[in-house]
Formats: sequence, structure tokens, C-alpha cells
Amino acid sequence: MILGDVLGTPVHDGDGNRLGRVADARFVIDGAPGQLMAGARLFGLVVSPHSAASFLGYERTGLTQPWPLARILRWRHRGSFLVQWHDIAMIGPDSVALRADFTRYDPALPKRAGGG
Amino acid sequence: MKKLLGLALGVLTAIGGFVDIGDLVTNAVVGSRFGLSLVWVVLVGVVGICLFANMSGRVAAASGRATFEVIRERLGARAGLANLGASFFINLMTVTAELGGIALALQLASSVQYLLWIPVAVVAVWIVIWRVRFAIMENVAGLLGLCLVVFAVALFLLKPDWANLAGQALAPAVPGSETGAGYWYYAVALFGAAMTPYEVFFFSSGAVEEGWSVKDLGQARSNVLVGFPLGGLLSVSIAACAAVVLLPAGVAVTSLSQVVLPVAEGGGKLALAFVIVGILAATFGAALETTLSSGYTLAQFFGWSWGKFRRPVQAARFHLSMILCLVVGVGVLATGVDPVLVTEYSVVFSAIALPLTYLPVLIVANDPQYMGHHVNKRPVNVLAMIYLVIILAASVAAIPLMIITGAGS
Amino acid sequence: MNPDGPLSPHPPVAGRVLDAQLHLLDRQVLDADGVPVTTADDIEIDGLEAGVPIPPGAPAPSLTALLTGPVLGTRIFGGRPPSSRLIRILWKDVADVGIVISLGVRGGSLDADWVERWVRDKIIARIPGGRHDPR
Repeated sequence: MILGDVLGTPVHDGDGNRLGRVADARFVIDGAPGQLMAGARLFGLVVSPHSAASFLGYERTGLTQPWPLARILRWRHRGSFLVQWHDIAMIGPDSVALRADFTRYDPALPKRAGGG
Repeated sequence: MKKLLGLALGVLTAIGGFVDIGDLVTNAVVGSRFGLSLVWVVLVGVVGICLFANMSGRVAAASGRATFEVIRERLGARAGLANLGASFFINLMTVTAELGGIALALQLASSVQYLLWIPVAVVAVWIVIWRVRFAIMENVAGLLGLCLVVFAVALFLLKPDWANLAGQALAPAVPGSETGAGYWYYAVALFGAAMTPYEVFFFSSGAVEEGWSVKDLGQARSNVLVGFPLGGLLSVSIAACAAVVLLPAGVAVTSLSQVVLPVAEGGGKLALAFVIVGILAATFGAALETTLSSGYTLAQFFGWSWGKFRRPVQAARFHLSMILCLVVGVGVLATGVDPVLVTEYSVVFSAIALPLTYLPVLIVANDPQYMGHHVNKRPVNVLAMIYLVIILAASVAAIPLMIITGAGS
Repeated sequence: MNPDGPLSPHPPVAGRVLDAQLHLLDRQVLDADGVPVTTADDIEIDGLEAGVPIPPGAPAPSLTALLTGPVLGTRIFGGRPPSSRLIRILWKDVADVGIVISLGVRGGSLDADWVERWVRDKIIARIPGGRHDPR
């Protein structure tokens, strides 16, 4: 499956209510060890209720400068949350459906995140 | 001497940005119609480009990533492609204009017909891009371009009324023969000319070409603080010369020979020789800068291997795209279009495309992952946010003003 | 489900976390020598089928490859190139992810490099001076 087909699609809960759109997909590098990097498994999806694009990730990184931009972009992404893989019922061609009892997690990147 | 040559990148970038063929004529037009009442715009533009180029140069030195790579990464594929389309189109228009400008300068020097010089110009530009080392290219073009300082010399030799000139600059007012809309149209055009995105593309890619790293941050800053104010000074000198000689005589500037008229009047044949060398070097340098920028932007967006520091076979698509740009430029010029007219439009479009180029650079300059601990300091961020507002205002006002004033006519 | 309540804290993870849009997509991909190969235009995942309900307890899909080439056009405008036309950079060739994605292999051996090789061999190498070292 190609990730570009999933990003930006609407997300619904178990009752069919629309929760937002898929802003990003989170992977964790804890799969089978390879020669270079270990395998990357899909950990979950970041859902944003207000904007389709993640744009600049301010809502997940600790970036606060320049502060007017940071404020505006955090406001645009208010209410974003992370859902884990086991809470996803179906990733369809045009939308994502979550299980009835899914949990919303804080989308902020944990300490061991990212590159560099 | 080596320290002075180390400033060549900044000087060449500024020359290509402030005194290319379009700016040479626009500055003279502004001087001949508005006197020095728009000098404050040049000042605002110089501070802005210093800020912008410094940020992008620091990003390139600290992270090794040139500006369009940053734009692609921050804006994403869709907005990045829109930016690429606009920037590439502007670059292409400017390449066309600069090739024409080289031919015009050669015509001025030799009285041989302009169209005959176009093939000479394009072949010369291509050979330098294909073969000449980046350092040699920037040193020679930058140094010879400084001959344009003869405009400042001629200004002194013309013995103008300094109090009058100072009054025009420090108490700006729209001259009676012009409209407010025309004044603001040229304000936006001068601002766009000072802050053209290709200056930033060239400067940051040049930083990578030169292999600048974190220990060269001071050199990056010197390049910016010497090069761009110098460019601004040359701009103002050209306008002042036109204000002193052409404005009182009511001469309308439509060609290069009118631009150099004040220099001939002030300094005679020797000054004229210097100014022709300077114009030739400046337009040639601008042609190199914009052609390379076309290659840089495409290669950085698509992830191709690029750089004059690589053998051409190791940066094949980069070189092919520049060859194609030059071919298109010649094709357009062969239709007989006036190169100066082309730049007048491209300058205004630059003002429109600027926000999407500026914003990613500003954000990345604050990102510790790219910059380590060399992120923007607080005062820089404050100034940068102020300029973001100015850039957005200019971008929004550009097209309406262009329509209202009929492109300044 | 807690629609308006506070978000639960992020579950602990055993390895590095990478967000696709934030850390992977639109990044430059450099080969083992630091030479740019392409940009990461899209991502391919294995172990997941679109439109098929996921059984509880199913293992998480894994990231198999970075995609480049024509997939950029379809990512922006929609649609999907056929699987055989996708140009892949296998995840097992990726050595590190930072500001750029660094591969552990040379560009010359990759599919993703074929356009560059073609332009080089057919056009640039034929122009005199193409192999000249500028330094």
C-alpha cells in the first residue's frame, strides 16, 4: 500500500462520526534488525481535526520560535491526537475507520524521536 | 587579499541582484521620474535581503542544505511544486533578459547590431557554467562588476546640489508629474528587485559550492554585510545620476544608452569605458547567477545531484536543465522581445513569489535539528517577522498596482 | 473513548520514532558517498490491504520502501502508477535518517538513479569536457 493514499483522508470513529483527517503516520524502528537499520513498523496515525496537512509539525515538536508562527500553527492543529495501530479497524481506499473503544494519545514526539 | 576574495560570493550575488540589466534600467527610470524619493525603499530592501540571505547562508553552512531543498522539505510536494513553478518561471524570464542585456552592453561598446551578439552571449555563458571553476567565476565577475562604482564617481564629478538630493531622499514625496499609484508600483518593483528569490537560491547554493561549514558562519555574515549594501549603494548611485541629469531635462529612460548618459557627462570617455565594462560584467554575472539558480532550484526540488564542484557527468540532469534554459532563452530573444521589458515584469512577479520562499527559510533557521545551537537569536526573529509582514504586503499589492498603473507607464 | 478529555500520555516505545510527513517525505536521499540520488516522494507499506477490515491482534505493517519518480505526480494530483512502474528505494538500504536520508549503498546500483545515468551516458558524456574535474 502507498502511504500517500492514506495521508489526508478522513478518519471516522466506530459510529461513523468524522474525527478529522490523517495528518501523519508514525513508525517505530523496532522491527527485525537489518544490516543497516532495523525494520520500521507502523505505530499509529496522527489525526488532526482541523487541517488536512501537517505542514510544519509544530504541534508535535518542541519548536517555539518564531513565536507568532508557532502560536498560529499550533492553533491550526489544536485537538490533534495519535491513535495506535491496534485501534484502527480499517484503512480503506478513501477513509480510515477506528475501533469503537480507541484511545486518543498525545501526538507529541517522544524523546527518542526523529532523525539526527 | 584572500580575505577580500572571500567576499566575492556576496558581491557577485548582490551584483546579480541589484544591478542586473533590469535594475540598471529601473533605477535610472526611477531616478529620472521620481528623483531620490524612493531611496528609502532601497534601504528597506537591502536590510531585508541581508536578513534573508544571511539566514539562508547560515542554514547552508550549518546543515549543508541549500534553500530549495529546505523549501521542498518544509512546504511539502504540492506547495513546493507551486513555488518551483513560479520561481523557475521567474528565473527563466530573468535568464532571457540577462542574455539580452549582455548583447545590449556589447552593442553599446561596439555598435554592432544587438541580435548578432546574442549567440556570442549564450555560448560564453554556457562555457563558463560548463567549465570554469566556481571560485574563478565569482571572483572575476564580482570584481569587474565593481567597475559600476563609476556611477558614484560620476555623481561627484557632476557636482550636484547635495542639499536638494538629500531633501528628496529624506523627505520623500510623490513628484507632481507622477501619481501615488505609480509611486507605490515602483516602490514594490524596487523592493522586489532587492529581494529577488534567485539571490537567495544562488547565495545558499554557492555556500555549499564553496564548502562552507559551521566555522565559516562569520565569513557568511561578512559576505552578506559587504555585498548587499554595496549593491544597494550602486543602485542608489544610478538613480542619483539619473535624478541629477535626466530628471531636470525630462529625459525618459528607455534604453541602456540613456542610463550611461550621466556617466559620460560627468566623467567623459574614460568613465564611459569603465561603465561599459561594469555593465558587461554585471549582466554577465547576473546571467550566470540566474542560469545556475534555474539548475539549482530544479535539482534541489527533485533531489538530483548538482553543483559546479562536481564533474558534469556526475551532475548530468543539472547541466542538461541549464542547457535547456539557455536554449529557451535564446529562442525567446530571437523573437525580438525587448529584454528590459521582460525584467520589469519578472521583478514584480518576484515580489509575489517571495513569501513562500521566505517562510520555510525562516522556520528552518529556528530548527535546532538543522542549525544545532546556531538558531536565530531573538532580535533576528523579531526583525524577520516584521519583514514577513512587509513581504506579504508587497506580494498582495503587486498585481493590483501593476494593473492600475499599467506596469508603471 | 474520551472525546473532550485530556489525551493519554504517549505509550513507551522501544526504538526511534519517525513520522512519515515530518521526517521522511520530501527529504533528500543521499547515497553512501553523500551524492544526492533523489527525494523521498512517497512510502510503501507491506502487510496492509486497503478496504479490508483489520483483524484484532494483526501485526503492524512495516515500511518496505521509499518511493520516488512518477509517484510524485500522483501524490500531488491523485491517482496511482502501476506497481511495476514504481521506483523503489528499499528500506533495508537506508543507513540513517536525519536532516537527509542516508543510504548505505552507492547510487550507481539503484533503480532510482537510472534517469541520471541515462542523461549522463546519452547526453552529457558526449559533450566535450563532460568528464573534466572542476577542482
